Amino acid sequence: MTLVEVNNISKTYGDTRAVDGISFGIQQGEIFGLLGPNGAGKSTTINMLCAYTEPTGGQIRTDDIDVVAEPERVKPTIGVVPQDIALYPDLNAVENLRFFGRLYDIPADQLTRRIEELLRLVGLYEKRKGRVEHYSGGMKRRLNLAAGLLNRPKFLLLDEPTVGVDPQSRNAIFEFIQALNAQGLTILYTTHYMEEAELLCHRVGVMDEGHIIALNTPQHLINTLGTGIIHIGVQGGDEGLTAQLRALPQVKAVTYRDGTLIVETVDAQQALLDIIGLFNETDTPMTALEILEPNLESVFIQLTGKQLRD
Amino acid sequence: MKKLLYVASNELLLLFKDKMAAVWMIILPLALTTIMGLAFGGLGGGSEPVVIDLPVVDQDGGEMAAAVLDILAQTQGTYLHLETEYDEGTARQLVYDGKRAGALIIPAGFTADVTSGNPTALDLLVAPGGQTAPLLEGMVRGVTSGFSSVQTTVEVTISEVQRATGSYDLDYDGIAARVVATAQERLENPPVSTRVTTVGNAEEEEEFNIFDQVVPGYAVMFAMFGVLGGAGAILEEKERGTFKRLLIAPVPKYVLMGGKLLAQFIVGVAQIVLMFAFGALVFHVSLGGSILGLVLVTLATCWATTALGMLLVAVIKSRKQVHPITTLIVLGTSAIGGSWFPLFLMPKWVQQAARVTLVAWAMEGYNQLMLFGGGLNDVWPDIGVLLLYGAVCFVVGLRLFRFKEA
Repeated sequence: MTLVEVNNISKTYGDTRAVDGISFGIQQGEIFGLLGPNGAGKSTTINMLCAYTEPTGGQIRTDDIDVVAEPERVKPTIGVVPQDIALYPDLNAVENLRFFGRLYDIPADQLTRRIEELLRLVGLYEKRKGRVEHYSGGMKRRLNLAAGLLNRPKFLLLDEPTVGVDPQSRNAIFEFIQALNAQGLTILYTTHYMEEAELLCHRVGVMDEGHIIALNTPQHLINTLGTGIIHIGVQGGDEGLTAQLRALPQVKAVTYRDGTLIVETVDAQQALLDIIGLFNETDTPMTALEILEPNLESVFIQLTGKQLRD
Repeated sequence: MKKLLYVASNELLLLFKDKMAAVWMIILPLALTTIMGLAFGGLGGGSEPVVIDLPVVDQDGGEMAAAVLDILAQTQGTYLHLETEYDEGTARQLVYDGKRAGALIIPAGFTADVTSGNPTALDLLVAPGGQTAPLLEGMVRGVTSGFSSVQTTVEVTISEVQRATGSYDLDYDGIAARVVATAQERLENPPVSTRVTTVGNAEEEEEFNIFDQVVPGYAVMFAMFGVLGGAGAILEEKERGTFKRLLIAPVPKYVLMGGKLLAQFIVGVAQIVLMFAFGALVFHVSLGGSILGLVLVTLATCWATTALGMLLVAVIKSRKQVHPITTLIVLGTSAIGGSWFPLFLMPKWVQQAARVTLVAWAMEGYNQLMLFGGGLNDVWPDIGVLLLYGAVCFVVGLRLFRFKEA
């Protein structure tokens, strides 16, 4: 069953099209990822889905409610975890959650229980009386996450929830998200970390410059689009060498950028032997060598010619 | 409505949690009010000349009356702007209404009495409790005292010349002794004196208390600092991201903004009430004859201040701009609006320019109630202007405020 339907939405700021006619659906109980570099349009998409920003065009329906026409009906059913730590640093965890919870008309006794439950879930119950400003980055992220769950949403939107988090806290957040999803919560997850998208998401939409340029399960994207990519540092782009590389049997494509030859291969290990042989034959010095196994990063590079962190 | 109160109570909780807020909003205002009140216990603590409008009704029209006007006009340190266009009734009414700190009546026959040595007096009408009244009284007494000396000298000299022309044998020791004796006698019973009459509410005309001016002045100034600073907190919330979280929650925009403004309004009222309570308990500040008037002026002032805060938040782009801009506005409007010195002591053009500030209207209301013994009816115009001021700022501010960043 489709919980969220996004149909040809766009958002324009002046002359800039932040989101340009994207469409996708999110199934009930699914973790749907939007993967792309900063500025790809992921946060703008989330802002439109949670009725914070009105689309310039297109339709969004969540649980069969038109988000643009009836935002006040949609808001109580969704939870949002913004990219910023949207908490009051001078208040403690309980005071933060109580205030945000009250805005959802949660009865006082239920809210008290919900706050305790969430603080235990995110591992902050023991620290609940400390001012948030004294929390570590990971603790703040976890509390930020808890604040988005106060109203028991049907649909949770997570906007890069692990930015600036240490590996231990990141793993705790992953486990928490997976546990929430196991309970049936539908999640939209944006990130520019391909590992996160591969690990968490059932399906991923790859975004760049306001467009979704590929959409499928991570494995399917890797299998169909992913290639082993070899980065070779060279001194100057030699057209002859590039042509010779392209002629190698395991090589699909070669591009030169900023002193690096980006070689897309069918099989990186096999291609590497041929490439080293070619460099030896032509006596061309290699200043660097890096092999990228097929993954969403290489999918993105193949689709856009850019890296996710660009 | 419930959510509006939640938003307001959260704002107050945030303020309560901010330790520096207590310093800025309570300790500093009380300390500064105390220091300024004690430092400026007398009028005009600075070296700049003070300008006072003084209606003078010359019923004499003679040479000595003209001399009085000349002397008053050349008074050092304080510049008297003499207004000679009023009749006695109008001058009396101006003082009664608190529009002038005092008025001088030079009675008919003044010149004749001075030159003939008959006792006479200048009539000085002063407003009750007005802080310029003692100054005016001192200045006029200085003039009349001078006239007494002149009269003495004239009297002694004439008698000596008369005696000398008879004998051509001047008794210098005798003249000196007679001048001293006459001067002493005149000092005790001056032939030219000042009759001071208080015009207005006689019950309020007890000894002037500088804190009657300083307390409301600094209360308004610091309430503005508090409220406008609180308005800056909205920009801080926008930059931090909590404002976005509030907009994502099922809370109408007007409820969200209403809650925040309600909190700022409460903060402003609390600050002024605290300052007045402190002033009344510690410095025996007179709260005037109309507590209702005082309450309404306070509420109208805080409404106007809160709405001005809304307007500022709408036009200021970032939190970094808040402090310099609000400081400039608060200090600038306090200086010309009568928070530091009574408005009626300012030059005419300043008094007129000050009308664009809410401080001027607030201080006129407070001065009317606390200095001039006015009642509720006397401050309705001030309350009305403050309410209108707030309404205009609120509507314009709400129209310009960007709830969401582009």
